[in-house]
Amino acid sequence: MSPKKNDTGDLLRDTLDMLILKTLSRGEMHGYGIAEYIGDTSEEVLRVEEGALYPALHRLEVRGLLAAEWGASENNRRAKFYRLTATGRKQLAEETAHWGRMTSAIARILEPA
Amino acid sequence: MSQLREWLHEAWVRAKALLMRRRLERDLEEELQFHLMMREGKNRALGIAAKDAQAAARRRFGNVTLVKEDCREHWTFTWIETVWQDLRYAARILAKSPGFVAVVVFSLMLGIGANVSIFSVMNTVMMRGVAYPQSEQLVAICPTSKEDPQYDDMPPLAEIADWKKANQVFEDIAAIGGIYKVAMTDAGEPGQVPVQTVTADFFAVAGVRPALGRVFRADEGHKLYQAVVISDGLWKKRFNGDPGVLGKMFRVEGVVSTVVGVMPAGFEAIEQWYRGNSVDVWMPPDLERAMYVKRTDRWSLPVARLKAGVTFEQAQAEMNVIALALEQAYPESNKGIGEKVVPLRDMLYRNAGDHLYPLLAAVCFVLLIGCVNVANVVRSRTESRRKEYSVRASLGAGRRRLMQQLLVESGMLALMGGALGVLLAFLATHVLRAFAQDLPHAQSIRIDARVLLFAVGLSVLTAVLFGLAPAVRAARPDLNEVLREGDSRTVAGMRGHARHILVISEVAMAMVLLLGAGLMVNSLLHVLLVYPGFDPSNILTMAVNLPEGNAKYTEQVSVKGGMTKSTPQAIAFHKQLLERVAAMPGVESAGMITILPPLGAVSVSFSVVGQPVPSEGDRPHLGFNEVSPDFFRTMRIPLLKGRYLDQRDTENAPWAIVINESMAKKYLPNVDPIGRQLLLRYEPDRVNEDRPRQIVGMVADVKHIGIGGMHALFYESYMQYPAHLYGTLVIRTSSDVRAHEADLTASVKQVVREMDADQPVTDISTMDEVLRKFRSSYQYYVIVLGAFAGMAVLLAMIGVYGVLSYFVSERTREMGIRLALGAQRGDVLRMVARLGLKLSLTGAILGIAVALGLNRYIAEHFWIYHVKSTDPLTYAAVTFVLVSIALLACYIPARRATNVDPMTALRHD
Repeated sequence: MSPKKNDTGDLLRDTLDMLILKTLSRGEMHGYGIAEYIGDTSEEVLRVEEGALYPALHRLEVRGLLAAEWGASENNRRAKFYRLTATGRKQLAEETAHWGRMTSAIARILEPA
Repeated sequence: MSQLREWLHEAWVRAKALLMRRRLERDLEEELQFHLMMREGKNRALGIAAKDAQAAARRRFGNVTLVKEDCREHWTFTWIETVWQDLRYAARILAKSPGFVAVVVFSLMLGIGANVSIFSVMNTVMMRGVAYPQSEQLVAICPTSKEDPQYDDMPPLAEIADWKKANQVFEDIAAIGGIYKVAMTDAGEPGQVPVQTVTADFFAVAGVRPALGRVFRADEGHKLYQAVVISDGLWKKRFNGDPGVLGKMFRVEGVVSTVVGVMPAGFEAIEQWYRGNSVDVWMPPDLERAMYVKRTDRWSLPVARLKAGVTFEQAQAEMNVIALALEQAYPESNKGIGEKVVPLRDMLYRNAGDHLYPLLAAVCFVLLIGCVNVANVVRSRTESRRKEYSVRASLGAGRRRLMQQLLVESGMLALMGGALGVLLAFLATHVLRAFAQDLPHAQSIRIDARVLLFAVGLSVLTAVLFGLAPAVRAARPDLNEVLREGDSRTVAGMRGHARHILVISEVAMAMVLLLGAGLMVNSLLHVLLVYPGFDPSNILTMAVNLPEGNAKYTEQVSVKGGMTKSTPQAIAFHKQLLERVAAMPGVESAGMITILPPLGAVSVSFSVVGQPVPSEGDRPHLGFNEVSPDFFRTMRIPLLKGRYLDQRDTENAPWAIVINESMAKKYLPNVDPIGRQLLLRYEPDRVNEDRPRQIVGMVADVKHIGIGGMHALFYESYMQYPAHLYGTLVIRTSSDVRAHEADLTASVKQVVREMDADQPVTDISTMDEVLRKFRSSYQYYVIVLGAFAGMAVLLAMIGVYGVLSYFVSERTREMGIRLALGAQRGDVLRMVARLGLKLSLTGAILGIAVALGLNRYIAEHFWIYHVKSTDPLTYAAVTFVLVSIALLACYIPARRATNVDPMTALRHD
């Protein structure tokens, strides 16, 4: 029953984490909002697996990258809002840089010689 | 760094979550519900029908329960949660098999309890360091024989002085004498105080300064006056804590003693045979006294402090060099003598170790037997639970999880056993104190934090010992085999062998312990039943020890060496005292002796006049006691030949002695001893007597030196050569001594006071009491070891019982068939009994073999007295007892076997 039991691979998990952090860098949001935002922004290319989103949010919260607070939603329901913490912001910067290096590396390999 | 912070944050969040379980659960539910509702709303906005909108939202989300579980996992300590689960599961499952739990917990309770008891004794009497600063730097130095390094002796003061000059490794070397109770007078009511002679540098070596005043100097010891340092206790008790005590004077054994210092509270005295005794007065040796001047007299233990940074090895190397030099300088006294450096701690506690290590071995046996028992039942249980494990494994329980579950179960059992064991040790505290009465600090034995820690450690250790093997086995069950297996009987039959070997070893271990205990019980019976050689009933004893340093009672004998001799006043004192006591109402007769039987005798070597005289070092030794003529009549010691000593045997008459039967048999066989003459030689002072002593009578043997064997011994009259001033009165009363005790004590004290106002009367006790006290320390030792042996036997029998029960339950079908085929119930009974007998006899024989192999060790380290360590009678009796008990343990399972109903048995399974 190790906590990593549901991982489908570090790459995927890290990507989801990064997307969440990036999304939240715009301001605080609830889980549904995050899922919708990622879907809309990527023009439904990246459809977030909702079942994986919440465990990811909770993991990031426990790690201290996110903080959460209960507040009223746009339709006036009680909802749990997530926002980036300072640590989370740092982590996002690191991961973005890492991601950039990686995609450019992959792009170089894929370029026709 | 950030890694650590993240980890700390996580731990904090999880710990918080642990306390807010319910709220966390509610929040999670609400959060997910919110999501589903939003999705549903969006679906509806997209034009999907209300019913479908909800279903679509759920479909898209996936398994809500599973997501919840995944979320929850981040919030909780999985490990703690599962252990908690396992604990509850273990408690449930153990509650279902109370028999199993009882056997395991009981076995561990005895095993751990016995170990905790002995540990609590060792913890107090051995593990306490020496209570001086930097005590690890303290060593004792013992002269030792080069041929026998085990042997150790004490050096003369002159030799210590040589060491001091020659060495570069010690800060200082002090010498300490034994602790004795002696008369203290001129400070309130005369009484006895424990005193110790130490050289002036002792306090510096100990590293403790006086709380008040100063310590004495080396030149402050003298025959008639001395400077002394007193304890905090004496200062408060006798001088009411008066700060003006310095300069006050009192007498110790008649020597005028001026207080120059008071040691701080809690300052402990040490001595060679350390018992944690306290000392009230420390005094310097009188360096002019012959016993301190001569190179042949050995009275004190050298204690030294190593210089900072010097190791034991370096100190030992230095002492080896010094020893060689001394051998050359003083060949007569130092030939073949080495010097051994021992950590002071080891020196002080070796006596306790001699007592306790054999018992430690015994309790380890008990625990081992207990563990074997537990291993056996756990084994049976694991086998019968194989199906459960397999099912759990097939349902997805991981190996580690299964092992964890089993270890939690054994841990729970072990801790229960441990807790009850501690309780047992706690209840036995006063027995342990009585048992350890002769060891240091025995009265402060208790269950403290260290003992508890030991108990917990031991419990965990045993849990791992008996829990790990089944856990490993359970963790890799062959699923198919076990689930398919309908008939487990054949498999179990094969595994039976290991179980039998375990039980045999249990019985063997119990046998060894029981033999040890049996030999000791046998010895104790000898001691308890043996006739001491005199009639102890209705005798009151009390000591009137005249002070040695007082010129009134002693004079220096000028001839040869420096012996002290009592003066005519001393004889007159004793004579008058005896006459007045004998005349008291209720007194039948009164006598006096140097050392009460069975507490000892003085040793002297001798030669028989008219027989070849061996060289001085090779002469045989005899014990002797100085008595008053009425001693024999008072103690009712029968005369066998000649006459008792009497009033005619005065200083001017020929010196007369009365010998005992053993002396006559050993040294004067086949001759009439009466009229023979002996020439004595006093060892410690090496003085040859020039006047022969004539044997005038022979009396029956009395147990003077212990209650064990008989010793060749003689008696001389205090009126003829009274070298000893120590005297104990023995007063025979005409009726029950208890009725007279108080009156008599008061009267004797009164008479003594009239004769010498400074003279204390001490050690008042009936003769029966003296004997009882003498026996009691042995008695407790036997009780304690006997209790351990009893535990061992009980545990082994539980083992035998368990194996036979298992045997019977495994063979139920076989027995059913046999009975159905016409076998008699007796046959079945015999079958079970045969196995029981086979196991216990094999174990017993193995045990006897081990005991015979350990025979030397047992004889040396256990309290075995007057009985050979291979005493066949004891061996036979113990074997008989053990096998009888084993057969009893067979009986219940055997009965169960005979009551098998053939039909049920065949239908079984």
